[in-house]
Amino acid sequence: MAEILRLENINYSYIDGGFERQILKDLSYTFEDHRFYTILGPSGSGKTTLLSIIAGLDTPKSGKIYYADEDIEKMGLGKYRRNKISIVFQQYNLINYLTGLENVLVAMSETDNELPKDHKQVAYALLEKFGIVKTKADRMVSQLSGGEQQRVAIARSLASNVDLIFADEPTGNLDTATEKEIVGVFKELAHEYGKTVIVVTHSDSVSALSDQRLLLSEGKLQDIK
Amino acid sequence: MNFFNRALKNVTRKLSKSILLLLTFFVIGNFVIVGLGISQASENAKIATRRKMRAVVTYEIDYDAINEYVNSLTDQEEIDEFYNNGFPRISINDVTDILADDRVLTANALYTSQFYQTEDLDYVHLNNQAEEQMDQTESCYIDMDGNEICQTYMNPAFFVKANYYPNMIEFVENSFQIVDGRFYTQEEIDDDAMVALIPQALADQNGLRVGDTVSFYTTDPNSLAQGSYLADTGITVDDIRLDLEIIGIYTHNQAVDPSSDNYDWLYPYENPDNMVLMPATTIAAQSLKIQQASFDHFAELYPDDEYYQDPANRPTEELVSYISDVTILLNDPLEVEPFVAEHGQDIPQFTVMNANNDEFDRLSRPLDTLSLFANFIVWLVVINAVVIITLVTALTLKTREYEIGVLLSIGASKFKIVAQFFVELALVAIIGFTISIGTGSLVAGKIGEAVLDYQITTSGVNEDSDDIYYPDYESIWDTDYTTDITLDDLVGEYSVSISPLIILEIYVLGLGIVLVSILIPSLMIMRFNPKRILMNQN
Repeated sequence: MAEILRLENINYSYIDGGFERQILKDLSYTFEDHRFYTILGPSGSGKTTLLSIIAGLDTPKSGKIYYADEDIEKMGLGKYRRNKISIVFQQYNLINYLTGLENVLVAMSETDNELPKDHKQVAYALLEKFGIVKTKADRMVSQLSGGEQQRVAIARSLASNVDLIFADEPTGNLDTATEKEIVGVFKELAHEYGKTVIVVTHSDSVSALSDQRLLLSEGKLQDIK
Repeated sequence: MNFFNRALKNVTRKLSKSILLLLTFFVIGNFVIVGLGISQASENAKIATRRKMRAVVTYEIDYDAINEYVNSLTDQEEIDEFYNNGFPRISINDVTDILADDRVLTANALYTSQFYQTEDLDYVHLNNQAEEQMDQTESCYIDMDGNEICQTYMNPAFFVKANYYPNMIEFVENSFQIVDGRFYTQEEIDDDAMVALIPQALADQNGLRVGDTVSFYTTDPNSLAQGSYLADTGITVDDIRLDLEIIGIYTHNQAVDPSSDNYDWLYPYENPDNMVLMPATTIAAQSLKIQQASFDHFAELYPDDEYYQDPANRPTEELVSYISDVTILLNDPLEVEPFVAEHGQDIPQFTVMNANNDEFDRLSRPLDTLSLFANFIVWLVVINAVVIITLVTALTLKTREYEIGVLLSIGASKFKIVAQFFVELALVAIIGFTISIGTGSLVAGKIGEAVLDYQITTSGVNEDSDDIYYPDYESIWDTDYTTDITLDDLVGEYSVSISPLIILEIYVLGLGIVLVSILIPSLMIMRFNPKRILMNQN
C-alpha cells in the first residue's frame, strides 16, 4: 500500500457567537491507496468540515495536505478537485436539468485526466455497472429514485478517472437495503477498481464494512481498532 | 458535456424561463430595430440628398461682418481709414493652403475683368440693339475755357475669367469642354504666362487655332487720348495690349437664348462666346506693370509731391494679386462640412467660408430631430435592457447556487460557469432578436413614416422661408455653383428599411447587452464558495 493523502497539523476554527470554536486541532493522518475508510464522530465533531478541507472545497487555518506528496494548495484546489478527487454527497448533488448520463458526462468534460475518446459509451457502461440501465440513464435525474440518483453520483465520481473518492453521508437518505448496496459499491471501488474511498458517516453499519474506521474526536483523527 | 452544451440544455429544458427571457429580448429587439431603422433612414436620407448637392465650398468677403464692424465704429475717420486702407481682400496667399488640400477637386479662384477688342480681333456678334450702340458711346464735358469737349469710348467686348487654379469647375463638370489644346498649368500660373483659352465660336469667327496669338486691350485705348483719364500717365498702347498665345479652344453649354427678354440688351462681353480664360497672375502682372508705370511717371512729373515721392506708395504685387471670391469643388459632398470646419477657422477677419448648407440644414431639421429621438429611444431601451437582464440573471443565480456548487465541486472553473450563463443568455437573445427583426421590419417603416410626417408638420419646415425670393437669373458675372434642394428631395430619400448593417448592429448590441448584464452576476459567481453552497444544501 502506498500513501495517497497526507494531512499535516491541520487546524480549523470559526467564530461562533463571538467565541472562536476550534474544530480541528493539529490533525495529522495518512491515507493509503486502495482502501475504504470511514470517518465516524458525534454530531458537530467536524466530520463534514474535515471532508470539505481534504476535498479541496475549503482551506484549513493552518497545516498542509499532500496528495501523492504534492501540496494541494500549490497544485490549485480547482485542479485538485478536477483531476485528483471526486465527491459523493448525501443529497447526490446532480444537476437537475440534465439526464443521468449527462451528469456523468459533465464530470468527464471537466477533468484533464486522460479518458477514452467515446465519453458517452464509457458513461453508459459506468452507469450500467452501478445498475442504471440506458433507458434510465437517459431520464432526467429528477425522475430517478434516491438510490438511483446516488448511483448516478457514484458513476459520476468514477467517470473522471480519479483515485480518491470522498463521500459525505452517502447513504443518509437511503433505505437499509439500498444503503447496503451503495456501501458494497464503495468496497468494490476500493478493492476492484483500486480507488481510495473516504466516507464520512454516522452509521455504524456503514463503517463496519470499511477497511479502516476512523474517529474524529476533539479535533483529531484516530484509528478505531 | 461542456459549458456550451450545458447552456443549450438549460435553455431548451427550462422552457418557461427561456420563453420569458425570449419575450424580453423580443420586445427590446423591436424597440431597437425601430429606433435604429428610423435613425439610419434619417441619416441615409441626409447623406443621399447631400450627395445630390454639389460639393461646393465658397470663400468670400464677409460683408455682414464688415457692416457690423463699421456700425460699431463711432469715429468717421476710423470708418474712412477702414474703407481706404483696411478693407479686406482675399489674397492668393490666403487660399494657397486651402487649395492644396487633397479633397479639393478643382477651384474657381477667379479674378474677373473685361477686355477690349484690338484691330486684329472681332468678337462674336449677337446682332442686337446693344451692339449697334457699342461704338457710339460718347462722353462730353466743358473745359476751363468753356469749350465742349466730346470723346468716344469703346465698350468692352470680352469677358475674362482668370483663375489662380489650373482647372475650372466648369471643365470638371463638363459645362465647358476643351475641343483642342489644353488648360493652363500651375507652372504657367506661377510664371504669369501669356496664354489663354478662347471659345470655339470666337476662334472660328477669327480663324484662330491653338498656337496662334490673340490680342486684347485691357483698357479702352481711347482713355489714353488727350483729355482722357489715362492721358499724361506715361502709359502707352503697348502697355495695355496683351498678346496671348492660344493654348486651348473650348466649347460651352451657356449659349445665349435669342428669345430671352434681355437678349437685345446684352453686350458682347455678356455673350459666353466672348469669354476668355487665362491665368489670373498674368492679368495681375499686367495690371501691376501699368500701375507702376503710371506711378513712376507721376513721380517724375511731380518731384515735390509727397505721395509720389514715397516709395512705399508704389503699387506692389500685393495690391493686384487678389481674388474676387473662391468657389471650391470637393471630391465628396460629404466632405464639405468637415472641410469648412477645418479650414474655416484659420481664415482672415472679414472673410467667410461657407458650406452652403443653410437650406439643407433647415430642411433636414425634422430628420435630425427624428434621428436624435430614435437614438435616444435606442439607448434608453438598451440601458433598461441591461438593468432588467442583470436583475433577472442575478435573481436566477440564487436559484442556481446549487448547480454552481456542484460544478465547482467537480472542479469546473468559475470562468466556464460564467461562460455557460453568457451562452444561455446569448442564445435566447439571438433567437429573440432574430424574431424581432421580422416584426421590427414590419412596424419600423410605418412608425418611421408616421413620426416623420408628425415632425414635418410640427416643425413648420414645409412652410415658405422668410427669405426674399429672387427669380433665377444666370449671370455671366456671378455663377451659382450650389444646388437647390427641396423638402421633397429629402423626404423622397427617406425610407425605413432594415439593412444588413442594422441587423449586424442589433446582434452586436444584443450581445453587448448580454455581456454587460452578465458582469454583476459574474462577480457574484466569483465570490461563490462551493463548500458553503453544498453544505447548506446537504
